[in-house]
Order: sequence, then structure tokens, then C-alpha cells
Amino acid sequence: MSDLDKAISELRACKIIPEPQVREICHKARELLIEEANVVQVDAPVTICGDIHGQFHDLMELFRVGGDVPDTNYLFMGDFVDRGFYSLESFLLLLCLKVRYPDRITLIRGNHESRQITTVYGFYDECLRKYGSANVWRYCCEVFDYLALGALVLGTSSTLEPSFTDKSQAIEPVDDDVEIEIMNSRNEVTARFPRSRRRLFESDGLNSSPPGTPSKTGPSGTGATSDSGGSHHSGGAVLCVHGGLSPLIDSVDKIRLLDRKQEVPHEGAMCDLLWSDPDEIDSWGLSPRGAGFLFGPEIVKRFNHLNDLSLIARAHQLVMEGFKEMFDSSIVTVWSAPNYCYRCGNVAAILELGEDTSNGGVIARSNGDAGRSAQAFMPNLAPRSGPGRRYRVFEAAPQDPRGMPAKKPVADYFL
Amino acid sequence: MALIVPPSNEKKRVKVYELKNNDWFDRGTGFCTGRIINDESKIYVESEDSPERLLLETKITKDDGYQKQQDTLIVWTETSGIDMALSFQEAEGCATIWDFVSQVQQQLLSLGGPDDALSDDAMESFAKPLVLPQPEIGNLDDIEHAMRGIASTPQGRDALAKFVISEDYIRKLIPLVEMAEDLESLKDLHWLCNIMKMLILLNDSQIIDHIVNEEVVFGVIGALEYDPDFPNHKANHRRYLKDNSRYKEVLSIADPNITRKIHATWRLTYLKDVVLARILDDPTFGVLNSLIFFNQVDIISHLQNNPGYLEQLFGIIDNPTADIKRKRDAVGFIQSCCAIAKSLQVTPRATLYTNFINHGLLRVITFAILNKEASIRVAGTDILVAMIDHDPAMVRAYIYKAINEKKTPLTETLIELLLVEVDLGVKAQAADAIKVLLEPQPTQPPQQQPQSQPQQQPPQAQSQEAIARQTGEFLSKHFYDNSASKLFQPLKDLEKRETLNDITFHEVQLFNHLVEIIIYLSRTHQFRSKYYIFSEDISSRIAQLLSAPQKHLKLTALKFFRQCIGLQDEYYNRQIMQKNHFAPILNIVYETMPRDNLLNSACLELFEYIKRENIKQLIEHLVETFRSKLQEITYVDTFESLLHRYEQMQGFNPDADTTLFSNDSTSTPNRTPNVNGNQRWQGVKEMDAVEEAYFNTSDDEDEPLPKAVLSKAAKMNGVTTSPMLKSLVDYPDDDEDSMDTTPPEPEELGTKPELEPSPMLQTPPPERLSEKRRREEDNDEDELGKLSSTKRRNSGSSASNTGSAAGHNTLKRKKGFKNDRDSPTNGPSAKKIEISLSAKKAVSEAGSKGDDGG
Repeated sequence: MSDLDKAISELRACKIIPEPQVREICHKARELLIEEANVVQVDAPVTICGDIHGQFHDLMELFRVGGDVPDTNYLFMGDFVDRGFYSLESFLLLLCLKVRYPDRITLIRGNHESRQITTVYGFYDECLRKYGSANVWRYCCEVFDYLALGALVLGTSSTLEPSFTDKSQAIEPVDDDVEIEIMNSRNEVTARFPRSRRRLFESDGLNSSPPGTPSKTGPSGTGATSDSGGSHHSGGAVLCVHGGLSPLIDSVDKIRLLDRKQEVPHEGAMCDLLWSDPDEIDSWGLSPRGAGFLFGPEIVKRFNHLNDLSLIARAHQLVMEGFKEMFDSSIVTVWSAPNYCYRCGNVAAILELGEDTSNGGVIARSNGDAGRSAQAFMPNLAPRSGPGRRYRVFEAAPQDPRGMPAKKPVADYFL
Repeated sequence: MALIVPPSNEKKRVKVYELKNNDWFDRGTGFCTGRIINDESKIYVESEDSPERLLLETKITKDDGYQKQQDTLIVWTETSGIDMALSFQEAEGCATIWDFVSQVQQQLLSLGGPDDALSDDAMESFAKPLVLPQPEIGNLDDIEHAMRGIASTPQGRDALAKFVISEDYIRKLIPLVEMAEDLESLKDLHWLCNIMKMLILLNDSQIIDHIVNEEVVFGVIGALEYDPDFPNHKANHRRYLKDNSRYKEVLSIADPNITRKIHATWRLTYLKDVVLARILDDPTFGVLNSLIFFNQVDIISHLQNNPGYLEQLFGIIDNPTADIKRKRDAVGFIQSCCAIAKSLQVTPRATLYTNFINHGLLRVITFAILNKEASIRVAGTDILVAMIDHDPAMVRAYIYKAINEKKTPLTETLIELLLVEVDLGVKAQAADAIKVLLEPQPTQPPQQQPQSQPQQQPPQAQSQEAIARQTGEFLSKHFYDNSASKLFQPLKDLEKRETLNDITFHEVQLFNHLVEIIIYLSRTHQFRSKYYIFSEDISSRIAQLLSAPQKHLKLTALKFFRQCIGLQDEYYNRQIMQKNHFAPILNIVYETMPRDNLLNSACLELFEYIKRENIKQLIEHLVETFRSKLQEITYVDTFESLLHRYEQMQGFNPDADTTLFSNDSTSTPNRTPNVNGNQRWQGVKEMDAVEEAYFNTSDDEDEPLPKAVLSKAAKMNGVTTSPMLKSLVDYPDDDEDSMDTTPPEPEELGTKPELEPSPMLQTPPPERLSEKRRREEDNDEDELGKLSSTKRRNSGSSASNTGSAAGHNTLKRKKGFKNDRDSPTNGPSAKKIEISLSAKKAVSEAGSKGDDGG
């Protein structure tokens, strides 16, 4: 067993690893991450995850529900640390997995992957407690500076492959017409939504979402009316960022022109990508968070059209149902920290995107896609046909046999 | 008679919902009233359309099924089992009905009798103070239930807290914990745990202060070991807290009250971090923190006012016979004091440092940072950084004193530490400390003079100007004339080096730190650092690092050049051109292209910046020196744009911009160029050249305004008028997607904030932060949407909003600002600077008060 594998198994048991080893892993991760683009290209199939926030046991539950690394490819959209009590173990485990299986796991940066935020919301404190000095925090923060800002998932399928099941169960084919499938943590389908009938799920006002009924967690968008994708099976490209769009970024390629190796700034494109939120407004708005912007449906649809995206996946906001599609399913929020802060009572979700095998694995997308933006007008901004989406919804991990989650207490005290 | 007054019958408009098949069914809209008829308290809703029709008639029962959610929702379960909800049009109406419900329930509860027997006698008994039965095994569930009911209203909580304190109720509960443990009655232990939790969450500082007392703490914590949320688990809180070896008493403290406070603080911290970590709501978290804070204030002031204590403490370090473990503890003790001092107010903190320094804090630091043990070095740098953060001017004054007395000044020690240290953490901290020490201006207004021992005052500067003058002197005479050469010697030694392929791990670390310090210096004291960088030819040495095999080192070196260019300073530009520093940078582009990696993006950003800012001098130089090289880079349009810019500058193709502009007005007609009307930047007017120059030099007040800055400012103001407007072109249809074919557009990334004014016009004017936060909590979801989400929450009050950390906020403002200054979009035009200033303000406020929400 290599040192790295040993570290992984220690971390899987929620134990911390010695400081020199942390340093070594951080340096290795840095070498890998420096080779990654600001927007990493990721091929489907991939499972997209939202905020983790140091909820180690729930991260383990996520792997149980979604499949283990390296059997399942993962894309984590940031906010690994802070709030929860095991930020160190969670982030270091993900980082070790990244170093061990670089092509199987993608990590992008969230607004909490920042020196300033972590000193306030817990990660700094946790490092200090668990190692007695801020060194490990420094190493981790340096890695944060190297994390990619986004990812572009290519080669998705418009249809859903049957989910992996227990051997005892017969594999049940999924109708081609199914666009969205929701499964629970026991691998049972709880809802399916066909492409043509997305209209069913409206979210206007008081009539939806009664308390405590997960079956109502369907897409809230009103759905596309036309399937502009036609007969092909591609689900289009999916952009993943932690927060959202920026008024300074009108194309994915512009993200490439940022120098991301820095602390998350208080403003500007890089800040916006990590801080913005979608909102039902006309175009751009002030963000109540004090950083980033709010952006409305038109902004998203236009951006998706110009960049030939079928969907934007983002995290950053707690959604009680684990995921929430908005703006005619042009953007989705994925949240992967169940019972956030150990008391919000929410469920979590991960989003599985299947692989389009119809073209023999060839992905039809040129980086730049010249023809598209040359159209002077866009008579209708019909959204591109989205990929088949399987949301796995899961709850907080069953109680940790070693005890209730808590911060590590201060070991000694003088005063 | 303590009567419940039915709410005034001003009608409250409300929607009535019933849960049917997991769906909220709308029973209609009407007006809600609360009435007491025949001793029965009821809620009625009469239909809006036909007032004679009752949409709802429900009797209030004592079950605690009623919940108020958000400001306008009341939900409950009917005795028939049906879930109901009232959604009020106005919060006020909701509050009135809710008060009514609470009062009725409270009364029903205190009676303990059947729901419907509201006799006059019973009414009278309500006037009496609340009474809970004497606790014993057997009635704990009743007590828990009663408390839960009472605690559901603010009045009830107050009454309960008073009762608990006046009756010393907690002490009566304590023996039951052991009893229940002896009986192995898990159920009773769970009740006890719930009772204790409720008492703590009453959020009464007297109660919380009480429970960490020696006599009761172990009983309370013992009960909390049996959390019904984790029925199969028993925590070991008592064992942890009883472990006396955790308390490291370096010197015994005479005052038992202070010792008590030290232990109480430790227990409070443990409660906060471990026992209650999952269940704390924001108010209780705040109470815990403030209790801790006030204890610490008392402890710190006691230590200082206790004659002889500090002498003994610092004497441990000076004592040659004391063993290293004892010295380590003494350093740890001092480190703890300094950590606590960070949260103190300025004056007591200054007093503490003055006292410490008079007793030999600097000796302690020197002892610690030169120690063999890495942990002591870490603690030493920690103390040092805390002290410098507190007041850099004071530390500089001491350095001066040391120089005059021919002692080794602290700077030398720090530089030594940075150069030879092997522990990477300590090294990084030393680098940080050097940066703070070289900060050109004090970060705080001058300290008030500490009260004690005025005769031993440090040679502290009296006024802002004096501090500035002294700082200036410190920087030029001491640092640049002496220390800098030692600090940057390893960089200068690079000149003799032919290859960097044999560069060692530690050299890489060191060079990283040194270049970062240089970047910091070039940004913060432009004038002096510029002179130093030129005279020592530092830029050529850093250019060498561009060819190091380590990519992260290349990145750091690249950052230096990006910083130089970002300064838009004639001298730097000339230096870069003369020394041909673009050659190695273009080499990196060639090495990495068309791979889309971090290094490549960082290079592109640099050239994008030159293009965006239209730095003519550099564009000319680039095109005239590297034309063919630039032409070959076609995978992005940056370089082609540079060539094109050059052509334009030479007088070709003057129409390019106007074409773009006219193009746009068709697709986005509402984008008006009304930058000043933009709500976000409301009230920020354009800066004139003098102001601008002031901002550029405010870091270095003691310097005369360099001419270059003035002329630059003037130039930039020109920039704000014409080219900015062009950039109102948004979503140009020939945007970067067609980067290989289309002619370059004049405006790119980074100038867009100004380009996007109109969308912002549609947003409401900026609100104060408190309002914003409220809106954040309330907005967009309709009430029932919230209902669905909040009903699951265990402690609704703070659910997703756990900005509790704001209370003990330790934002590192300096770091934030440092990084902010080299953010990629921080262009030099006057307008942009204004914008960034206002945004910074907003962020720093949000950072300290706002919740980041995830």
C-alpha cells in the first residue's frame, strides 16, 4: 500500500494525517491543478456535487449513494470547508483522491475556498485545533488558489441509462423520453419527468411544495416547449461553477483569460463566478451577499445560447430539496450537504449526467463554436435540449458510531 | 384577573390552507378574528366574499402544535389530524393572532386542567408566577413537556428563566442525573438532557454563567451526555472536563475568583464547541461568546494588576536554569494572552502590550523564534505577528531603539529566520511579519497612551505625521539601506547562476517568499521600492525565475511583472522594455500554448491587460520587437488584437470602434450610457486628478507627489470619458467566440462594470445592510414555499442563516485589501478606482456583518 493509499484510508476513517504528509499532498495537488484550465473540460459520465462544508460523514454517505471513487467520476463544485466540523478530513480526502485519481475527480473553487472566509467560518480554527498551528491551513489555502474556477461537461446524453442497481434487482430500462429521474438513497426511483411534460411542474406561488413531501421536489421551471435538439442524443454542454454568472463574462472562453491564482477578490469576474446567485429578476441585480450579483432568466438563457450550453449547474445556495431547477431548466442548483450545519433539516442531492455513446464517443463541440455567435439576432432563445438528469437525493448520514458530530475541543488551556 | 384579551377585532386578511394529499389546498381568503366565547378561545375566519360563511372555526388547544413561521404564517394540526395553515397578508395581523394563541395556550398549560375548563378560578391562577413541580424521577416528562410549552413564547421564556434562577431549579435537577444513571433509566436521562438543553437555549446569561460553576457543571454536562437525538450514544463530556491535566498553570494565580473564571471560560468554550455545537442558535451563541469575552477581559486585567505576576512570568524565560518545558509553557501562556488581546478593545490591548514589552516581550520573541523546537518558533512568530498587527509603528520604534543601542534589531532576526528557517509554516509567517512591518502607514489611528507606567513609555510617535515621518525614515534608512540587501541577497546571487535546473526545494520556497515581498513592496511603497528594484536590477533576477522548472515559481515571477505593468509607471515600463523581459514571458506562452492551463491563462491575462488598458508604450514595444512571434499565436485573439491596436495607433483602421458601437444599439436598446445614474455607484462622483493622485500616493504621505503620478492621473481621467462609453457595447455579436476571424473589439473583460449600467438601473436603490439581510431571508420564496422548508427544521430560528460567526468575526482586513489591489479588473482609470473603493466598502461591511449563506 502506498503512502497515498494509506493516507486515503486514514482519512476515510475520519482521522487526520501527519502535517508533513499534508504538505506533500498539497504540493502534489498543486502540480496537478496548475495544469488545469480555468474551466476544466470533463467528459460525461460524471456526477456533479454541490457544497460539502466539512460534513465528512455526509460526504461518505454521498459516496455510498453515488458510487465510490474511482468507479464513479465526480465533479465537486466547491465549498468543501467551513461550517461543518470536519473540513480538514473532507477536503484532504477529496484532495488525496484527486492526486490518486486525477482524471476521475474534478474539484473547482467555491467562495469558501478563501483565506478570508475560512478565518471567519471555521476552517482556520479547525486547522489550529487539530494541528496546533496554522501551517496546514496555509498549505490548504495555497491549494485553494490553484483550484479551477469552473468546469465544462461535454458528451452528455439526452437520455438516461438505467441506474446501477443491486445485482438482485432486474435492470429496468429507462424510457428515452425521460428527461429527469429522481432517486432516493436506496436506489429507488421516486419520480420521473418526461421531456414533453415538464410543464406539469409549476412553481407559481402558494400551491406547490407542501411541507415534508420530497415528491414535490421536481423541477420548478416551466419547461422548454420545443426540443431543438431534434433527433440526436447529445445532451449538450453543461457549465459548472460554484456561484453563477458575471456581467464581465459573456462567454466561457473569457474565463480562460483570468489569472486565477490569487485569493478570491472582492469584485470582478472571478469573484462573481464564485459568489453570484440566480434570481427572478430582469437582468442583473445587487447581491445581498455583498459580493457577486444576482442574475435573471434572460441572462442565463442568453448566456447558454451564446455559449451553446444546455445547462448551468451551480451550488452555493441551500435548497431544502437538495436541488432546484430554475428558469425553464436552464440552470440548476445542486446542494450536497444534508441537514446543513447539522440542523437545517434539508436533504441533499447529486446530479448524474450520462454519456452520449451515439457518436462513438466523439464530442461535437469546437472551443469557440464560431458560427453560433455570428448570428446577429436570435429570434427565439429556445433552450437547447438538456441532458438526461438523474438526481439522487439523500439524507444526512446515519449517526456516526463514534459519536455525535462536534468540533474538536481545545486540548489544553492556560487561560 | 389576568384575563386574556381577545385581539382587537380589526380584521386581518388571511388565506386558509388545508393539507390534502400532501398538497396545500386553498380554502379561500377571508378575515381572521380571535374570540373567547363561553370560555372557549377560538379562531374564526369569515369569507371575504360572503361574510356569513365561515372558512375556519377552530378551538385553541394546549397542544404545542402551533407554529409561527416567518412573519406571516401560522401552522398547526387540528385535533382531527388535519394540517392547517393561515397565511396572513400582514405580519402585524399574524402577530396579533399569534399572541392570542400563545396566551391561551400558556394559560391552558399552567392550569394543567382539561382544555375546555376555563373557569374564573383558573383565570386567577394565571396571574401568579409560573410554578414547575419539584423535579423527581417520575415527573421529568411532565416538566419537560410543560417547559417546552412555556418556552414557546417570549413571555414564557422570561418567566421560566426567572423561576429557574429564583428557585435554584438547576441544582435540584442535578442529583437526578446520577440517580437516573444508577437506575439505568435512559428515558429519564433523555428527559433531563432535553430539560438542560431548553434551559441553556433560554439564552439567559445568568443561567449559562451558573451552569459552568464547579458545583453544577458536571451534573448539567452529565445530563447532556444522553442526547435523545443519538439514543445509542453516550458522550464523555464529564471525563473530558474533569481532566485537570488539561489546565496548564504556569504560575499559580492567587485570586480564586480568577481561577474560577479561567475554568468557567474553558467550560464555556467546550459547551460552545462540543456539547452544544449542533444545537446552538445565534442568540445563545452570542451569549456564550460574550460571557467568554468578559471573563477574558477580567483575567487579562487581573494578570496585569497583580504585582509581581508578570515579573515572575517573564522571568521564566530569562532564567538560565529553568527547563525547556517550563519555558515552552511560558511562551504558550504569553501566546494565549496575545491571542485573547486580539479581541480586546484598542486601549486595554495597548496597555497589555506596553506592560508585556516593559517586562521583556521582545526578549521572549527573540528567544522563541531562534529556538530549536519548531513549536516554540511557531508560537514566537505568532506572538510577533500579533504584536506587529497591533501596532507596527510601536514595533518599529523599538527596532530603532535597538539600532541606536547597537543591539540586533528585530528586522535582522526576522530576515535571518526567513532565510534559514526550514519549517515552512514559520517561514511563511516570517515573510508575513516582514510585510506587515514594512507597511508604509499605520493601520490604526495613533494609540491612546496607555495609562500605566508612563515613565517607561516606548519612544512612541505622538501624531499621525510623526508616525508617517518615522515610518518613512525607518523604511529608507533602515530597511532599504541596510536590511534589504541581506534579505534579497539570495535573489541577487541568481546573477551568477547559469541554470535553475538544480534549484532546491527550499530555494524555491524562499524565492517564492522573496518575490512576494518584492511584489508587496512595489505595490505599497512605490517610490522607494522602485529605486531599490532598479538599482539592484531585481527585475532581471526575477526574470530569471521565469525559466525555473517549477511552474508555481514561474507564476510568482510572472505576478511580479504583472504587478509592474499594472502600476502603469513609466519607469517600470521602460525597465521591462530595456531588459527585454517580455521575451521570457512570451516563451512561457509558447511553451504552454495551446494548452489551457493556469500558467497560460496568467500570461494571457497579462497581455489582455495591456490590450485592455491600451498601454501604448508597451504595445508598440511588443509589436515592434516580437511581431512575428505575436503573429504566430492564433489560438486566442489577444495577440492579434495587440497587433491591431498597434495598427490603429499608427493611424490605420480608425473606424473599427464606431462600427461595433452602432452594431450594438440594435440588439440591446435599453443599455443607456448613464454610468452616473447607476444606482450601485450612487453618490460616487468622478474623481479629479488631484484626488486621484492622492489615492495613488496616500500610502506614502511623506513623499512629494511624483510628477509621473500626476500626469498619469490626468491621462486617466481622459480615458474615462471617451473610450469608456464605447464599451457600453455589450454582447457584441462578434464576440470572442469568433476569436480567430473577427477584428478585435476595443473593449474586453474588465471594463464591463461600466458597460452594464442599464440593468442595474432596474434594481432598487442600494439598501442598508440590515435591510438587505432581511430581504435575503424573506425574498423570492412565497410563504408556503418557506413553510415547506421550515417545517423540517429543528431550530427554525437560525436554520440556514448561521451567520453567527459574525459575532466573533476576525476578518483579516489587511490581507483582503492586499489581494484586492491586484485583482485583475482593478484598472487604473479614475472611475474604476472609485468603483472599487465603494465596492470594497460594501464587501467589508458584508464580510463583517453579512452571512455568506453557504
